Amino acid sequence: MEWSIGDESERYSVVMSNEGEVMSLSNITMDGQEIELPNLQVSSDASSGRLIVEIEGIPKFAHIARVGDDWWIHLDGRAHVVKGYEKGSQKGQDSDSGLTAPMPGTILEVLVKKGQRVREGQTLMVMEAMKMEHKIQAPSNGEVSLIHFQEGDRVDMGSALIELAD
Amino acid sequence: MFPEWMQGAPNRFDTVLVANRGEIAVRVLRAVKEAGLRAIAVYSKPDSESLHVEIADEAILLPDGPLSENYLNQEAIIEAARSSGAGAIHPGYGFLSERADFARAVSDSEIVWIGPRAESIEVMGDKISARSRMISSGVPVIPGDEVSIPEDGAHLGPLAVAAAKVGYPLLLKASAGGGGKGMRAVREPKMLRTEYEAAAREATAAFGDGTVYVERLLTGARHVEIQVLADTHGNCIHLNERDCSLQRRHQKVIEEAPSPAVSESVRSSMGDAAVLAAKAVNYVGAGTVEFLLSSNGEFFFLEMNTRLQVEHPVTEMITGVDLVQKQLEIASGLEMGISQDQVTISGHAIEARIYAEDATRGFLPAIGTLSTWVAPSGPGIRVDSGVRQGDEVTVNFDPMLAKLVVHAPTRKAAIRRLDSALSNFVALGVVTNISFLRNAASHSAFLSGNITTDLLDSSDISEFSDPEPPAKTLVSIAEAALRMGLDKTHSGVAGNPVDEHTGHSGDPFRTLSRSYP
Repeated sequence: MEWSIGDESERYSVVMSNEGEVMSLSNITMDGQEIELPNLQVSSDASSGRLIVEIEGIPKFAHIARVGDDWWIHLDGRAHVVKGYEKGSQKGQDSDSGLTAPMPGTILEVLVKKGQRVREGQTLMVMEAMKMEHKIQAPSNGEVSLIHFQEGDRVDMGSALIELAD
Repeated sequence: MFPEWMQGAPNRFDTVLVANRGEIAVRVLRAVKEAGLRAIAVYSKPDSESLHVEIADEAILLPDGPLSENYLNQEAIIEAARSSGAGAIHPGYGFLSERADFARAVSDSEIVWIGPRAESIEVMGDKISARSRMISSGVPVIPGDEVSIPEDGAHLGPLAVAAAKVGYPLLLKASAGGGGKGMRAVREPKMLRTEYEAAAREATAAFGDGTVYVERLLTGARHVEIQVLADTHGNCIHLNERDCSLQRRHQKVIEEAPSPAVSESVRSSMGDAAVLAAKAVNYVGAGTVEFLLSSNGEFFFLEMNTRLQVEHPVTEMITGVDLVQKQLEIASGLEMGISQDQVTISGHAIEARIYAEDATRGFLPAIGTLSTWVAPSGPGIRVDSGVRQGDEVTVNFDPMLAKLVVHAPTRKAAIRRLDSALSNFVALGVVTNISFLRNAASHSAFLSGNITTDLLDSSDISEFSDPEPPAKTLVSIAEAALRMGLDKTHSGVAGNPVDEHTGHSGDPFRTLSRSYP
């Protein structure tokens, strides 16, 4: 597995070595480059379902939960998502030229036409979700190449709404 | 069987139906049970496994479909009260809580309505009639004007005239709006049409009304509200203020009491104004009068919420008054049993609203399964939660999951306690605003107490962004967890050992091999 922190682009590969119940970090790379190795051990605290993480000798507890290939980790008062990828899978696979619905909802307005040139930040569509309006804005300058929905259509989370070409 | 405290009350009831869901239904159902009454929940199908259904003595399924078929379905809720023998209905907040027609329908069905009279709701529920009633009662109001827009919204002439008279920047509100919906700031005349159209759409989607109200937008003001309590015997008192200045798009984020900006003299004059406002509409029960407090100490009536507020716990913490218990007593026709000079302030309380939303993506509501949900506990920590570990967070309802309330002797100590409690609040599987709340509560403006309602909207969001995550540690944990085969989706505290003797884990009096009789 390769890992990223949330949607950050850096990919990490980690080698852990077993010493009985304890796993020690023995190698770590970021985007293929070896990086400085902290003294880090991980063991399971079976009774509470948490992990005990020792960093440079200081123990901390981590709550963990797996959702699909992602691990949700609560450490030091913050929750993080560490995303897992099969080794060598395409980088940035979900970064987009098509714009997707951030939430399930309804399309209220389509403000552009196919073939129209748009500026970065220009509002392309307005959708309603959770009783609030959300603007779908162009991530970059481009030309509208495809519009997938019309006003009044219901859309699911992640549906491609509109596509831009350079 | 009526509980002892209700003996002698004119409108006795032994069973209360709570017409709500989520954390407030849980809060009220628990109070009802504590008061020695039977607690009835109502629910829609997606809520079958919800916490509020679980804790009720009896739960009644409402028809499937949109909200209008269940939580907003007046006939079905009154029928549920009848069939379950409920002598009273508590509406919570939101949903039917500020619907005068519902209050009337409940009373007409010979069921006790735990709330103010329908007429009070009517007057205060319409911003325009509320305003004129306040003016005639001598409560200070913000410069503003009402405009009725034709159905199709084609002619904005009258709106433009009113807007010019009030002055920019201004706030455009749908008369029947609330909670930040159907409310838009207009900074310059050319944005009037765009913002009007957005406000009208939101208001229609959420409330089904389209009259518009314009008022001067006071920048650099604080949102300070006064909790009032009135009974049917003519007693009306206030329970000090709450400061709800930390807002995002008019949605409250963190609330506290007392307000760091309110002096004893402002508290007393604002309290008097709130009591005046409540008396002007013959108010009964618990209500909140909202004011805008400008930096020079002037304050203006904003609106009155004729119901229990989301943030009512901060008042309970500093005054020691259980507002829901008081609502029950007042509804039964008893005197409220507390006088103005008995209301005190003890320490400082802060509430943070835990939302399923992604602060890094424009606060979009988030969904998913709460694989891990461990709420903090300890002295001075209260969590009013509507969810449990394993619950599904969907788009069907408001994304507020819980409220974390802390109480400490001073504001500084309360802020430290808030940060500590937020750090120990573990919610995994669904993106929450917990981290954002920590960042907001440690922002210099919040620490100094100099918060204005436009702080979050006018600041660069990067001022509230998370510290750099410990990447190496996190990826090592993920790899180790994967290698250990900890791959069940719902992990967490499932393996919590329960002591056979005491029935709970971590008992300091238990021994390894012996148990005492």
